[in-house]
Amino acid sequence: MTTGVRAPEREADRTAAARVDDAVKTFGKATTEVRALDGVSGSFPRGGFTAIMGPSGSGKSTLLHCMAGLEPLSSGHVFIGETDLAELDDSDLTILRRDRIGFVFQAFNLVPTLDAAKNITLQLRLGRHPVDRAWFDQVVDTLRLRDRLGHRPSELSGGEQQRVAVARALINRPEIIFADEPTGNLDSTSGAEVLGFMRRAVDDLGQTVVMVTHDASAAAISDRVLFLEDGRLVDEMSEPTTDRILDRLKAMGG
Amino acid sequence: MFALTLRNLFAKKGRVVSMSIAIVVAVAFLSGSLVLVDTIGASFDDLFETIGEDVDVVVRSSNVVETDFGDLRSSIDEALVEEVQALAEVESAGGDVGGYAQLVDKNGEAMGNPGNGPPTLGFGWSDVGNPMVLVAGSEPTGPNDVVIDKQSADTAGFEVGDPITVLLESGPGRFVVSGIARFGDADSAVGASLALFEFSTAQALIGEPGRVDTISVTAADGVGQDELRTRINSILPTDVEAITGSQATDEAKDDIATALGFFNTFMLIFAVIAVFVSSFIIYNTFSILVAQRTRELALLRALGARRRQIVGSVMLEALLIGLIASAVGLVGGLAVAEGLKRLLDAVGVSIPTGGVVFTVATVWTAFIVGIGVTVLAALIPSRRAAATAPLAAIREATASTLSTGRARIAFGLVVGALALPSLFAGLFADTGSRLELIGLGAAGVFISVAALSPILARPFARVVGRPIAAMRGVPGELAMENAIRNPKRTATTASALMIGVGLVGAIAIFASSAKASINDIIDRSLIGDFVVDSGTGGFGGLSPDLADRLNQLPEVEAASGVRFGFVEVDESTQSIYAIDTSTIESLVDVGVVEGRIDEMGPGDIGVFQDWADDRGLGVGSRLNVRFPESGSQLLTVSIIFTEDELTENFFISHEAYDANFRDSFDFQVYVRRADGADSVQTRAAIEAVASDYANAEVQNIEEYKDSIAAQIDQLLGLVYALLALAVLIALLGIANTLALSTLERTRELGLLRAVGMTRRQLRSAVRWESVLIALFGALLGAIVGVFFGWVIVKALEDEGFSAFEVPYVQFAVIGVLAVIAGVIASGRPAWRAAKLNILEAIAME
Repeated sequence: MTTGVRAPEREADRTAAARVDDAVKTFGKATTEVRALDGVSGSFPRGGFTAIMGPSGSGKSTLLHCMAGLEPLSSGHVFIGETDLAELDDSDLTILRRDRIGFVFQAFNLVPTLDAAKNITLQLRLGRHPVDRAWFDQVVDTLRLRDRLGHRPSELSGGEQQRVAVARALINRPEIIFADEPTGNLDSTSGAEVLGFMRRAVDDLGQTVVMVTHDASAAAISDRVLFLEDGRLVDEMSEPTTDRILDRLKAMGG
Repeated sequence: MFALTLRNLFAKKGRVVSMSIAIVVAVAFLSGSLVLVDTIGASFDDLFETIGEDVDVVVRSSNVVETDFGDLRSSIDEALVEEVQALAEVESAGGDVGGYAQLVDKNGEAMGNPGNGPPTLGFGWSDVGNPMVLVAGSEPTGPNDVVIDKQSADTAGFEVGDPITVLLESGPGRFVVSGIARFGDADSAVGASLALFEFSTAQALIGEPGRVDTISVTAADGVGQDELRTRINSILPTDVEAITGSQATDEAKDDIATALGFFNTFMLIFAVIAVFVSSFIIYNTFSILVAQRTRELALLRALGARRRQIVGSVMLEALLIGLIASAVGLVGGLAVAEGLKRLLDAVGVSIPTGGVVFTVATVWTAFIVGIGVTVLAALIPSRRAAATAPLAAIREATASTLSTGRARIAFGLVVGALALPSLFAGLFADTGSRLELIGLGAAGVFISVAALSPILARPFARVVGRPIAAMRGVPGELAMENAIRNPKRTATTASALMIGVGLVGAIAIFASSAKASINDIIDRSLIGDFVVDSGTGGFGGLSPDLADRLNQLPEVEAASGVRFGFVEVDESTQSIYAIDTSTIESLVDVGVVEGRIDEMGPGDIGVFQDWADDRGLGVGSRLNVRFPESGSQLLTVSIIFTEDELTENFFISHEAYDANFRDSFDFQVYVRRADGADSVQTRAAIEAVASDYANAEVQNIEEYKDSIAAQIDQLLGLVYALLALAVLIALLGIANTLALSTLERTRELGLLRAVGMTRRQLRSAVRWESVLIALFGALLGAIVGVFFGWVIVKALEDEGFSAFEVPYVQFAVIGVLAVIAGVIASGRPAWRAAKLNILEAIAME
C-alpha cells in the first residue's frame, strides 16, 4: 500500500489500523538521556476506540505523536495500515497525515482566520481532494454544527471548537483518528458531548480512534485502555469503567 | 527597567536585527552622501588653494555677471600688466587668459564631456602664479606648441613631440605636444582637461590680442597682501579692481560651494527619503513587538510598573537600537560614498575626488538622525504599550488592534488636509522655500495615505486574493486571510513600499511628459532637417566656421548657428541666445508677432512676449542689458515672439553677440536641406564637413529628439538607482513584518503542518501574503505617483509642459517588479516558517 491511497473500507476489520513494534524514543544526549518510550509494542484494531492512560511523563503523548507521524522513533517501527513510517521522508509523512490521519488536539485545533466550514474541510482542500457533500452534511448534522459553519473559531465556544475539530477529523474518512486530551479544556457537559460524538464515530461510522487522556471518565467510553508507565506498556483493560480505571491508576501511583 | 530593556533587546536579537538593518541602510546612505559632498568640496578647495598659492593680488574687471556656474567678468587691457609691474611693491605681474579648448584624441574623438562633466579648458602659459608643473618636455614657446595635463596625456597616450588637434573658436587647430604637466601635485585639475599655449598664442586663439582676463601679482619682499592691494587699486581705472590672493581663493571656494549646493541638496533628498521609509519600518516593528509583548507588559503593569516606566523601557530600547544601528551605518557610509561616486560615474557625471573627508559634522548628523528617527518612530508604540491594561495579562491576545481606529482616520485626514496646501504652495506659488514646502507636502501625503490605507487593505486583499486562492488553494486562501487579519500592519508595511513606488511613478510621469512636451516643441518650432550638436551644453562649442562651410554646400539650403550666453537684465541673470538673422527663419519658428528678424541690427533684441508684457515693453522700447564682456548696453526691442522653448526670453543677432561677448561659439547648428537635394546625400555632405570638428554630432530631427530623450533617461537612471534604496528598505520592512507575523502564528503554523500542510504549501502561503502586501504597496504608490506626476506637470505648464503622459508600460513593469520583490522579501521568513518544529509549535503556550 502506498501513501495517499485510501484504506479499503471495513472489509479488513480484523487487521490493525495501526501497529507499534518495539517503539523506543529517547530525548537528550547520552548522559542526560530520557527514555520516553522504552520498547512499546501493540496493535490498534480497525473500528476500535483505544484510550491511552498513564501518569505525567509516562510517555503517552510521545507515543501518540510518534504514531501520528509528528515525531520519529529512535528505534522500532510504527505502521499505519501497512505503511512503515520510518521509511517516509518529511514530505511523505506530511501527505500521510493529511490523507490518512485525523487529529483532535486539546486546544488550538483550528485556524483562526478560517470559518468552521473551511476548517472542517482543511485537510481535504490541502490535498486538493473534492469534498463529498453528502458526507459533509452528515458529519455536520451529526455534530450539530449546521448553524455554526460561517463562524470563525473566535466566535465559537470551546465545545463547539472541539466539535469542529472532530468534524475535521472525520471528513476525510481517515484510517485512524488521534485525539490528544480532546476534552482537557472543556467543562464536563461539553466534554461529555464531544466524547459522545467520538464514540458514535466508532460505532456508527466505523472509525478507529486512539485517544490520550488523563481523565478516567473520558477513558471509560473507550473499548480498551492501555496503561503506560515510564515508557513501558504496563497493563491493558477491556470494557473499562471509570471505577476500574481509577483503581488501576491508584495502583500505579498515578 | 533598564535590565529588562537589555534583556528584551538580547532575547529578541533576530527581530531587532532586521529592523536595525533599515536604520543602518538609511544612516549609511545619509553619511555616505555627506562624505561624498565633503570630499568633492575638499578637492575643489585644494584646487583653488593650489591656484592661489603664489598669488598675492588678483587684478580683474569689476563688471560681473553672476551665474550658477561662477562669475563672468570682462577682460582688461594688457597694458595694465606693465603699469602694475612697474610698482615698487610688486615683485612680478602676469596676465591670465583662459577659455574653452577641447583636446582631440588619437582616434579623432573629442576628449571629455564638458556638457555633463568637468570642463575642457585652454590657458596661456603664465610666469606668475602658474600652478602647472612640467613632468616632461618644456613650456610652450612657439605658436604650434601646447602643454597638456598629465591625466589627458595618460588617457590618450600622448607623449612629448606628438602632433595633437585642439578644438578652438577658429576651428580645429594642429599643435605639437611640447610638454606634459601636472596641476600642482595632481595629474589633472579635478578632472578638467588642460591645454596650455604660449601666452600671445593663447590670446589670439582663446582671448583677444591686447587683452587679458585677470592679472596675477606677487608682492615684493616685506609687502603684505592688503598693502599691495591698496597700492595697486590706487593706480587702476574705475572699472578694474584688485583683491588679495586669499580673497580670490575664498571667493572661488564660495562659488564652488554654491554650485555643489545643488548636488548636496540632491543627494540629501534621497537620504531623507531613505530615513523616512525606515521610520515606517521602525514604527511597524515596535508596534508588532509591543503587541506581542502585551502579556508581559500587562504583567509588569499588574505588578505595579508605572506607565512612565513602560514608556521609558520601550524608548530606551529604541535609543539603544538607534545608537548601535547609527554606528554601523556610519561605517557603512564610507562604502556608500564610494558606491555613489561610481554610480555617478556610470551615468556620465564624473566627479573628481581626492582623499575621503570624514567630518565631525557627519558623525553628529548620522547619530542625531539615526537615533532621533528611531526614538520618534517608537513613540506611539511605546505609549500604546503603556496603555496596556493590567488585566490584559490574563486575556487572550486582544482584538482591539484589528480595526482602523477613528483616531487614525482623523489623523490621516488632518495630515492630508495640511499636506495638500503645502504641496500646492510649493509647486505653484513663487516663494523662497519651494523645495521645503514640496518635501513637507509630499511627506504629508504619504503619511496621510499610510494612515488611511488600512481601510483599503481588506477590500484590496479580497479582490486580488480571490484569484490567488482559486489558483493556489489553501495556501492562497491563507495568504489572503493573513494579509487582512491585521489591516494596520499590512497597510503600514505596504506604505513603506508605497513611498518608493510613488516617487518612481511620479518621476516616470514627469519624464514621459517632458519627452512628449519636448517632441511637441521640436515638431512645432524646428522646421529644419538636421541638428549639428556640440555636446558642450553652452560652454564653448562649435567654431562658427562650421556653419559657414555648411552654408556653402549645394545640398544645404541654410545652416544657422545658435550661440548662448548669460547676461544681467532687470537685476537678474538671464540666458540669452544669438541667431543668424538671415537664415534662422527657414529653420526655427520662434513665433514672431511683431518686427522682422531679417532686419535686426547689432543694437536690437528680441523679447519673449510674456516677459515683455509683464514689464510693459513693446517694439521700440529700450532695454538695459549688462553683458559679461562689454558691460551695460542699451538695446532696442525690435522683435516680440511667443515660442520661448528654444531661445527662452531673449535673442540677439550674431553681430550683437560678437560685439558683446568674448567668444563666439555655436553650441548647435540647425541645417535645412535644399529643395530637391537627396536626404542621404545631404547628410553625407554635412558629415563630411562635420568630421573635421571632432565635437560635432550630426543628427536628423528624430535622432535629435531621441538624444534629448536619452539625456532625460540618463538623469532618470540616476534618480531610479537612488530611489531603489527606498524600495530596498521597504523590502526589508516586508521581510521583517513577515518574520514577526509568522513568529506570532507559530502555533497556527504548527497545527497546519500537523494536519498535513506540506512545507512547500506553507512557504507558498507566506510568499503569497508577501506578494499581496507588495502589490498593495505598489497600488497605493501608483495612485500617489499619478497624483504627484499630474500636479508636477500642471505646475510646469508655464515651463513648456504641454503634455501629461502616464507611461502605462512602466507602471505595469512596476507591478511585476512588486510581485518579484514580494517573492524575494518572503524568502527568509517563508524558509524559517517551513522549518518550524511541529511539536514545539503545538506545545507552545
